[in-house]
Amino acid sequence: MLHLLQIDLKKMTSYRTFWVICGLYFLTLGFTTASGMEILKWIANKSSEFGASININRIPLYHFPDIWQNLIWISGLFKIVLAVMVVISITNEYQYRTLRQNVIDGLSRWEFLQSKILTNVLLSLVSVVMILSITLLTGFIYTPKIEWDFFFFGAEFFLAYFIEVFAFLSYALMLGVLVQRSGLTIVLLMLSHMIEAIIKVNLFRESWSTQIGWLQQFFPLESITNLVPLPFARYALQEIKDYVSIPAVLIALGWTVLFNYFSYLKLKKSDI
Amino acid sequence: METVLSVNKLTKNFGKLCAVNQLDLEVKRGQVFGMLGPNGSGKTTTLGMLMGVVNPTAGSFSWFGEPATHQTRKRIGAVLEHPIFYPYLSGQKNLELNAMIKNADPNNIAKVLDIVELTARKDDKYKTYSLGMKQRLAIASALVSDPIILILDEPTNGLDPMGIAEIREIIKRIANDGKTIILASHLLDEVQKVCTHFAVLKRGNLMHIGPVDDVGKGEEIVEVQAFHDDLGVLLQEFVGSGPIKKENGVFQVMMKDGFHSKDLNRFLFDKGIVASHLATRKKSLEKQFLEILADAK
Repeated sequence: MLHLLQIDLKKMTSYRTFWVICGLYFLTLGFTTASGMEILKWIANKSSEFGASININRIPLYHFPDIWQNLIWISGLFKIVLAVMVVISITNEYQYRTLRQNVIDGLSRWEFLQSKILTNVLLSLVSVVMILSITLLTGFIYTPKIEWDFFFFGAEFFLAYFIEVFAFLSYALMLGVLVQRSGLTIVLLMLSHMIEAIIKVNLFRESWSTQIGWLQQFFPLESITNLVPLPFARYALQEIKDYVSIPAVLIALGWTVLFNYFSYLKLKKSDI
Repeated sequence: METVLSVNKLTKNFGKLCAVNQLDLEVKRGQVFGMLGPNGSGKTTTLGMLMGVVNPTAGSFSWFGEPATHQTRKRIGAVLEHPIFYPYLSGQKNLELNAMIKNADPNNIAKVLDIVELTARKDDKYKTYSLGMKQRLAIASALVSDPIILILDEPTNGLDPMGIAEIREIIKRIANDGKTIILASHLLDEVQKVCTHFAVLKRGNLMHIGPVDDVGKGEEIVEVQAFHDDLGVLLQEFVGSGPIKKENGVFQVMMKDGFHSKDLNRFLFDKGIVASHLATRKKSLEKQFLEILADAK
């Protein structure tokens, strides 16, 4: 296992594009999640120009335990960058035909796929660690009075976040294996949510939609999004889902297994 | 002798096209086995199946007497078609990666780089290499695990004469080390120079298999040149002469069984003629190859 991960990391760590994309990912992710208060100030400033005043101190964006879900939801928006990296990594293997040479040299096709999946696990873990550090740091800075009884309320979102990133990277890997060309794969990846939305809108607009509306949660990308619900509506005094729903986790895990299984099937059957 | 590769009724169809048809082959340890055939005759497809990148339609094969898995592939060094490496990695790093995949000793890398004379350029990126260097790096990567058997597919493709000579030297050196080599090529001269056995494929069918030494056996052609106007007539008088051809001012006499160049020489000498050129030619593999392919029509 570790050996396979080392093989893929060996390919990546001397690849400049890998460092540039990962660097940009962690920089933008880090700065965005850490500068929420500045953004709030900016919003307050802008709205005061229009005569509305917002007391940003009453929005506990960075207060434990709100901070967990808030920052994790924001971080989820950035996973597309990592997914593009995954697409480049897998489509390169097709473009350079190195997948073929790897198999000739003695990797089984399943081992090859494992090496890519393990890198996805690693990237997801590093994302979790990164957000965990930023959350703890900013949380301790901004929370006026830490109530330890509620401190870990919502910390399970880290597990959901891990599944969210890993599921999406698995999806990107599968697209790469199926399409094999980087440009086309990246465009498809970008449009995935849109395409799924189009399908859903057309499927569920009819009157019978109320009966099958519950099917929506089973859509692959929707299932990934459902892991961490949008938290900010709570500051407009709306009810939100502030917990990780077990069915959502199960559906997303199911898709993750399927994505990787489809990659495996495709790899196994094709002449490379 | 120990059988290294045994192929049994191996078949590959691409849709309606039959690329390889019921191929039977056997390669023994220590052989330098040439696979000949025109472009598109199924050589690379066959090697692709043997190396696990093309799924066979039917048939089977075994390496070292065991069913083929990715583990057996680790003991084989193979380059199919053209060299494949990560362009952004240096030659050294590419070989390190090959060694990792093959579970080979990384200390071999310096050695194989030396063999192919790439040590000086090992830290340059692969994409900066010339075609000849790429081919040589491919041979180095095939050697990195100190394999029992080496598979080379058109290793001199696209090289200049010097590059071809270099690769040929490397192959000969490796063969002298006692390694088994499978060499696919359409350069017949090359196969005749380095191979011990050869097989001919045509449109996926095996046309011929046998030792290279058998090529032209029993047929001896003697080339004669002398300063005599009626040499052609005289040669026909010789009892050992078969059909005679004249090419570029040189007579080529096909000898009858039991007659050799020295008999012809004595005959000419008795007639008072001294040959200015006398040479024995065996039938070239090229001729035999063309005959085999022509027979198949």
